[in-house]
Amino acid sequence: MHTLKLLSSFLKVNIQMSLAYRADTIVNILLNLMWLGWELLSLNIIFSNTTTLGGWGLGELIALLGVFRLVNTMMIALIWPNTEKFNQSIRDGSMDYTILQPVSSLFLVTFSRITVWRIWDLILAIVLIFVGINMSGDIATASSILTFILLAISGMIVIYSLWIVLIALTFWFTKFDNNVTILQALLDSGRYPATVYPTWLRIIVTFIIPIAVATTIPLQALRGELTVNQVVLFFAVGVVSFWIATRVWKAGLKQYSGASS
Amino acid sequence: MFQIIKRLWQVNWAEQWQYRANLLMYLLYWLVSPIIYLAVWTSIANQKGSVNGFTANDFTTYYMLLLICDQVTSNIVIHSFGYKIQDGTLSGELIRPIHPMLTNGLVNNIAFKTLTFMGLIPIWIILYFLFKPDFSGVSITGILLAIPVMLLAFITGYLLSATITSLAFWTTRVYSIHEFYFAILLLFSGQFVPLTLMPKIIQDIAQYLPFQLFMYYPIQVILGKLSTEKIIQGYVSAGIWLVVAITLFNWVWRNGVKRYSAVGA
Repeated sequence: MHTLKLLSSFLKVNIQMSLAYRADTIVNILLNLMWLGWELLSLNIIFSNTTTLGGWGLGELIALLGVFRLVNTMMIALIWPNTEKFNQSIRDGSMDYTILQPVSSLFLVTFSRITVWRIWDLILAIVLIFVGINMSGDIATASSILTFILLAISGMIVIYSLWIVLIALTFWFTKFDNNVTILQALLDSGRYPATVYPTWLRIIVTFIIPIAVATTIPLQALRGELTVNQVVLFFAVGVVSFWIATRVWKAGLKQYSGASS
Repeated sequence: MFQIIKRLWQVNWAEQWQYRANLLMYLLYWLVSPIIYLAVWTSIANQKGSVNGFTANDFTTYYMLLLICDQVTSNIVIHSFGYKIQDGTLSGELIRPIHPMLTNGLVNNIAFKTLTFMGLIPIWIILYFLFKPDFSGVSITGILLAIPVMLLAFITGYLLSATITSLAFWTTRVYSIHEFYFAILLLFSGQFVPLTLMPKIIQDIAQYLPFQLFMYYPIQVILGKLSTEKIIQGYVSAGIWLVVAITLFNWVWRNGVKRYSAVGA
């Protein structure tokens, strides 16, 4: 309850901040629509030359685009602005105030900045997923939809955990302030099914920077391509990586000594 | 003048060298899309034998060369210069007797590109062994014909980006305008896919725009896929667009500097 109250006041503050730049918000939404147009055009170009990509049809790729946009929104609306704030707080020592609050520092570091207008992107993403599934003609059963949602959430948690580990490294290496670029760099690989990539690239996007875990794998679950064991495994990966992230975060906090001392 | 350029080079080189870790990250970031497109299109070509006459190897060579051409013809002037107009640091450069954008800005870009290129070479070699492209279509004449046009394309592209950057004299939303420009580039340069696979209408428009000179055209020249007539056409178009870009930049810059009232002054 307390957490929800905090979250809603964070939202309020961020809405107020973005209201100061109304015209920018409109421009940003227009640019966002332009990129959606480009993404659909590029899929159209691909599928005017072939009927399947790595065994997936057009509808499935549109659904994948939707899932990709979910991850992308998390990246742009939460991870980027909060990383910026976090890095600065390590440099100038204002991290002190975050730690002094009687709330989980991880929670504060994650949610204090929210790019509010991006929320509309979430709606767009969900529409894309629905339209895509509909077009693909895959029979979505209640259980496949449920595993899809479960794995999509756990995939996002995996990426979120990796982010926590990356920014926690700043506690040890203060100068490590391009900590999330590597995450952003490989993000684009989530637009296409990882099955089309050469083995070495598939290994990178599945195990090292696990973008595919949040994009390709939930969709595979939706298509009923995963066995029960695999579903349990990927869900467990989400839980374990979150546990590791909180450990690393706590160890990092112990390392933190402020900027002036 | 030579002395000035030399000194500018030393300063800008030292500045870029300081950020070499960032640079490597940038390089990685920039590499990912072409490699993904490569994987997507070779997978389609493998599945069907060929796509509109393009075999898997054609796609591999195309994107491997694209990595080089894009690195030569692209620029970062919006990032290295845009903020100077906005926060007023430009004032210090304006009182110097040299053109800020055409000397310091240009040298800064070249220093940046030289360093990223040094990073690209080992990565390119690794990719070469991973993808094993067959470059038998490449001839020395092709490479020699492509180099001048790539340099022309770099200067044209630099001036066009500099023109957009100069819009910062009027508007604070110059980064949004640049994002739009970037999308146009993506559409007409052949970055996503060789232009011949694009919808007919885009190919037709691309003929009249300078953007294909940045990637599609030099790659095709290197691969020896263009007829003599087409090659001449490309050179003429490069010449015309260079003149257009010079005129456009000069006009926008002149009017912009007149409007400029430094922040904080």
